[in-house]
Amino acid sequence: MTAHTPIASKPLTRITILQGQARVSAGPRVEFSTVLGSCVATCFYDPEVELGGMNHFLLAEPPQGHAPAAVDEHYGVYLMEVLINEMLTYGAAKHRLRAHLYGGANMRAGMAQIGTMNADFARRFLQQEKIPLLREDLGGTSARRVEFRPAHGQVRCRTVANTLVSETTPTPRKPAISGDVELF
Amino acid sequence: MSNALRILTVDDSASMRALLLHALGANGFDVAQADDGLAALDWLALNDVDVIITDINMPRLDGFGLIEQVRSGRRHCDRPILVLSTESSDEKKARARAAGATGWIVKPFDAEKLVAAVRRVAH
Repeated sequence: MTAHTPIASKPLTRITILQGQARVSAGPRVEFSTVLGSCVATCFYDPEVELGGMNHFLLAEPPQGHAPAAVDEHYGVYLMEVLINEMLTYGAAKHRLRAHLYGGANMRAGMAQIGTMNADFARRFLQQEKIPLLREDLGGTSARRVEFRPAHGQVRCRTVANTLVSETTPTPRKPAISGDVELF
Repeated sequence: MSNALRILTVDDSASMRALLLHALGANGFDVAQADDGLAALDWLALNDVDVIITDINMPRLDGFGLIEQVRSGRRHCDRPILVLSTESSDEKKARARAAGATGWIVKPFDAEKLVAAVRRVAH
């Protein structure tokens, strides 16, 4: 692994984004980092307020009765919305957002193309929300490490050994932890 | 004329609107959609509705503002309003309740729970 050339003398604050997380920062010395297999990471950047955010998701298997090739998009839409709302809370505007997408590898031959389905979902989401996709590095069979400096919108994506990924498999969405209804 | 319950969903995310349209339409509801609170008020000025489902974070007029406007109007002031949000803080729930919301559903929504809640508040 090659070290970054420092931009300034102060050290970077590196924050790892794990599966299921979404984080936002305008800190000039903050760097988000994540390692992806079939998961996808979205990086959003608003250049006007110099604010960026990253999420890391793996879509769940569909509920019983759905087509076997489909994935359950509820969780992906949810995690995208969480990230966008967080960006808006800190001053970003949705019409100014620019996106990068990374990950979505299919690392195991013979298994369902989960990476492709995750990547297709992410592209489709951005199209539906009319958020420009400036750069993508999706698909293939290799794991990736993504480093994103949210205040600058700078991203570095490299392939890394697949052994660095603790490959997770999609699991069915647990009804008990989603969609809770509270009537007043 | 259809006897299906008419639901208005209000959300600025096209992806979320698509999920809601699929979940509610597949269960026999007549679904109309608006992309923010102002668009919802425009639609409500011309149409009847049985249940309103609204997001909170939206441009122009957010979910709190929409609930207040509906409750202060005459035509739809007694219609059930369910909030569907990624938020789950007690402070925001209390604010929605004070504004006149009927219930709160946390995203990501479960289609069966959503449909059950809509049927419950509609009758």
